[in-house]
Amino acid sequence: MTPDTVFPLANMAALAGWVALLASPWQPRMAQIVSGTVIPLGLALLYTAIVLAFWSSGEGGFDTLANVAALFKSPWLLLAGWVHYLAFDLFVGAWIARRARDERIPFLLVIPCLALTFLFGPAGFLAFSILRASFAAARPKTV
Amino acid sequence: MSMTETSVTRPASLPAMSLTGLFSAHPLFLGASVALLLSMVPVLAAMVLDDRQFNGVNIWDKPFKFQVALSVYLLTLAFFERFVPFQTRQARWYRWHGLAVVGAVTLEMIWIAGAAANGMASHFNVTDPVLASVYGFMGFLAVLLTSATLVQGLAIRANRETGLSPVLHHSIWIGLVMTFVLTVPVAGTMSSQTGHLVGGNLSDAEGLALIGWARDGGDLRVAHFLATHAMHAIPVFGLMLAWFGRSRDRTSVTMFAALFAALVVFTLLQAMAGRPFLGWLG
Repeated sequence: MTPDTVFPLANMAALAGWVALLASPWQPRMAQIVSGTVIPLGLALLYTAIVLAFWSSGEGGFDTLANVAALFKSPWLLLAGWVHYLAFDLFVGAWIARRARDERIPFLLVIPCLALTFLFGPAGFLAFSILRASFAAARPKTV
Repeated sequence: MSMTETSVTRPASLPAMSLTGLFSAHPLFLGASVALLLSMVPVLAAMVLDDRQFNGVNIWDKPFKFQVALSVYLLTLAFFERFVPFQTRQARWYRWHGLAVVGAVTLEMIWIAGAAANGMASHFNVTDPVLASVYGFMGFLAVLLTSATLVQGLAIRANRETGLSPVLHHSIWIGLVMTFVLTVPVAGTMSSQTGHLVGGNLSDAEGLALIGWARDGGDLRVAHFLATHAMHAIPVFGLMLAWFGRSRDRTSVTMFAALFAALVVFTLLQAMAGRPFLGWLG
């Protein structure tokens, strides 16, 4: 097993999770189980195993940017970093789908936020937070 | 035959209930045992990815074995907890002791897995003063976590209302106390050596199937294993006596316990002499 063989498998798993989120208006429970629990946990397991097995072989650390770059010179740790993105982006995507449903935000408006989260993680989270705050502000207050 | 008569002839109070219900008398030990069980999953996944070896076997072999052992240990204690007097279970010192035991298990596990992740030895690692003192502290933690059997065994001994037949009551508390009494000196002797293997090729690669004991030299882990499993072996002997209708035969339990202790001493001396235990087995 090499980082290059694991990489496409991790990508496919994450992609399956994002597809499930797109189906979430029709299958909300299934989408939450798949994209909010099963796939993020699977990716978390992969990440943890990589770190347990290869952390000590890497150089660098978290303290300086140069050290972070040094960490990512190890292909396994680079893969771990990538899996970290995949896992947490999907987890946030599932959270967005859940919150949007609970707060009755139209799914058509949520799709761009999901797409942003899929591609640029935190930017999607920010976009959804703006959308959410706007809906909250515009919604008539129930006293 | 009335309902009461049937229930009296049952060897132990084992009401039919859920799997976790069997261990619910000690939620902390049950929870810690389940946590150890679940944490085997990432360790096994790391084993798949990691090619590094330690002493001839995969570096994650040891953390995995400790997870199995400590999980079984805590689960056994959780099972026997039902026989501890209720007042003892409620006592503040007793609850703190249980918490300290779980803390010791956690620290041991973190150290063993952390050492594996970093490709270094956990036990017997005295390569520098810091590691030597860490090793000493691990010894303290090991005694602390083993003391759970002593405390529980004595508490069960003091309980006159376990609902157990004499032979089971006797075998359970003796088994628990013997785990402590045998494990501490055996493990203490073991830790004063330079490693768990004596003679032979000093590699774990050629060991017995599954358990990994050396077949070409002495292995100090045999005596440790048997000593710690007194808490299983002696109660199982008691259970068999009860099944064969000898539910008052406490003398046999005591004799079995003495024989078991002799076996532990024998395997310890055998290993220290550099001779294998069950070396002829596959």
